[in-house]
Amino acid sequence: MNVGAFIQLVVTQATMLRRNVGFWLSSIIMAVLSMAVFGWLFNPDTQAFELAVVDEDRTEASQALVQAFDGLDNVELIHGSQEDELGALEDGDRGAVVVVPPGFGDRLNEGTASLLVYYDNSNPIRIGYVTSTVDAVVDNYNASVVGETVAVRVERQAVDTENVRFIDFLTPGMVGMTIMWVNLGVGFLLVTWREQGILRRLGVTPLSPGSLIASQAMSFALISLTQTVIILAMGRLVFDVEVAGSYLWLALTVLLGVLAMLSVGYIIGSLLKTVTSVNAVVNLVAFPMIFLGGSYFPLDTPPAMAPLVNAIPLTHLNDALREVVNHSGSLGDLWLSWAVLGAWIVGGFALSMRLFRWQ
Amino acid sequence: MSSVNEAAASPAGLQASLGLDTVLSVEGLTKRYDSLVAVDAISLDVRRGETFGMLGPNGAGKTTTLEMIEGLRTPDAGRITLLGLDAVRQRRAVQERIGVQLQSQALWPDLTVEETLQTFRALFRRKGSLEELLERFSLMDKRRSLVRDLSGGQKQRLSVATALVNDPEVVFLDEPTTGLDPQARHSFWDYIRDMQREEKTVIVTTHYMEEAEALCGRVAIMDQGRIIALDTPRQLVRGLAFDNTVECSFEGPVDGERLLALPAVRDVRSENGAHFLFTNDVAATVAGLLGFTDDSGQRVQSLQVRTATLEDVFISLTGRRLRD
Repeated sequence: MNVGAFIQLVVTQATMLRRNVGFWLSSIIMAVLSMAVFGWLFNPDTQAFELAVVDEDRTEASQALVQAFDGLDNVELIHGSQEDELGALEDGDRGAVVVVPPGFGDRLNEGTASLLVYYDNSNPIRIGYVTSTVDAVVDNYNASVVGETVAVRVERQAVDTENVRFIDFLTPGMVGMTIMWVNLGVGFLLVTWREQGILRRLGVTPLSPGSLIASQAMSFALISLTQTVIILAMGRLVFDVEVAGSYLWLALTVLLGVLAMLSVGYIIGSLLKTVTSVNAVVNLVAFPMIFLGGSYFPLDTPPAMAPLVNAIPLTHLNDALREVVNHSGSLGDLWLSWAVLGAWIVGGFALSMRLFRWQ
Repeated sequence: MSSVNEAAASPAGLQASLGLDTVLSVEGLTKRYDSLVAVDAISLDVRRGETFGMLGPNGAGKTTTLEMIEGLRTPDAGRITLLGLDAVRQRRAVQERIGVQLQSQALWPDLTVEETLQTFRALFRRKGSLEELLERFSLMDKRRSLVRDLSGGQKQRLSVATALVNDPEVVFLDEPTTGLDPQARHSFWDYIRDMQREEKTVIVTTHYMEEAEALCGRVAIMDQGRIIALDTPRQLVRGLAFDNTVECSFEGPVDGERLLALPAVRDVRSENGAHFLFTNDVAATVAGLLGFTDDSGQRVQSLQVRTATLEDVFISLTGRRLRD
């Protein structure tokens, strides 16, 4: 088949998909609703955080200050060594680390005492919440215990951490979920075309199954890339979710995800005969994939489930998307996920080409 | 079969039937589904520019035969030579040069008329004029309408138009007028006559005998996977040993064998209480039939006399009607 024919087939199928608004819009609405619900209403980031207090002075004055942090709402107080706690902060496990430096008690009497607060710089929403909580405690301490409003100064130190906001985690997961929904939909397309006799009609033209499938994959990829742009733009404009990594790696990951999900969709569409049964099987496959693949929540995989979770293509699509979007991942971070998606693509298409029938 | 006999009569005719003049040649074509033999070793030749009809009831094997010729199904045995090519091994090369309309309309509801034709046209190397097709099938003012918004007749015309996007040499139409009202059916015949004027070879299946009589140069009558007769419609009817058919039914059961004794009746076929008396002398047969009524006490409920048609060829060969 020549290039002109291939382009015409891609354009035709992309046009049909675009006109089938319910098909591509429903998955976007699901993604955007999820982002709105978790980004605004139930944002886990304004929930309780862990605050570490390190007392390096160990005087009466410093212990009084440490006690002032007790009993705060929304704060889980942790006591530990400076080294351990700063390490935990860098891992994203602490909202802030308050350090009472040696000589604090002596300087308090001179009126030059200060506190060091290390806070997580990667999370703009939580910074305000964390620093205002610490400031309130210190102000309270100054007023009630010392009696002077500026007895203790707070010195802030920002620390770049690996901490990722929930919305940062969720957004690539929603991209992965949308790619899955739309491309598994090729199963519906195949069965509908077979039921309507369209596959038979194409079977009496010189079109080869390979050309048909290739042009279908291309048109689905166009739709999925558009959806990805819409979701990421929404994340950027409304929730300040930035794509940290390369757009090229992002596009490649999306393409691999599209092909892997299409191959699963083709197998479903080749094995089943009616739209209703495809509907049932797609749901049966998709919903466990969304949760086991970690589109919404990070999964603490029980060891018994690990082989299953690691075999699911959506797991690796989500991992690779998060690696690029959240951690500016490079080839070294991406190759494993890409390899698993590639295995699905090769195996899935080999099988669906064998199963393909015009009628 | 007479086509073979005619060709064999003169060396030139023999050469023509095996040479350039033959567009389609089928030999011993067979298709089995488990224990059912859908197509049973059929052979036929179709000449260039001919309109060839395949007539038979549902399940006779017409569609399966066409599907094997078109490359949709692989034959279990036999050979198909179409346009000088092996239709099984050189499937794609053959499909470049044929046009097919299947029984189902097989159109995408979400495309416009123009997009539909463009898409099918893109699949072929040889391309006919799109404007001309829109004009010819009266779809010019509908070119930007979605297929889902077309009427049944417009969809039917578009479906035939998609079969002509590559300006094919051979056109296959599988029951193209089934489900159309008589008026739409007659205007559809004009499209087939247009194809005949363009000297395209047309192979059409139908279970309307009047359609085959009106359009086809030659007709193959199929039943239970076999070709039971093949000739021009006129020759097939003339080959019957009678001119007229008297179709009758009685209020109660009557043994068909007894009707054979009536005057001028050459043969009797009975199906579901209806009896077909094949006769050379209508007046004598009808008079005898009325006398028979008095003798047996069974009154005639309905009586119809008609000139023998292809339908009668089928009834006399199989004892069944084409359509139930």
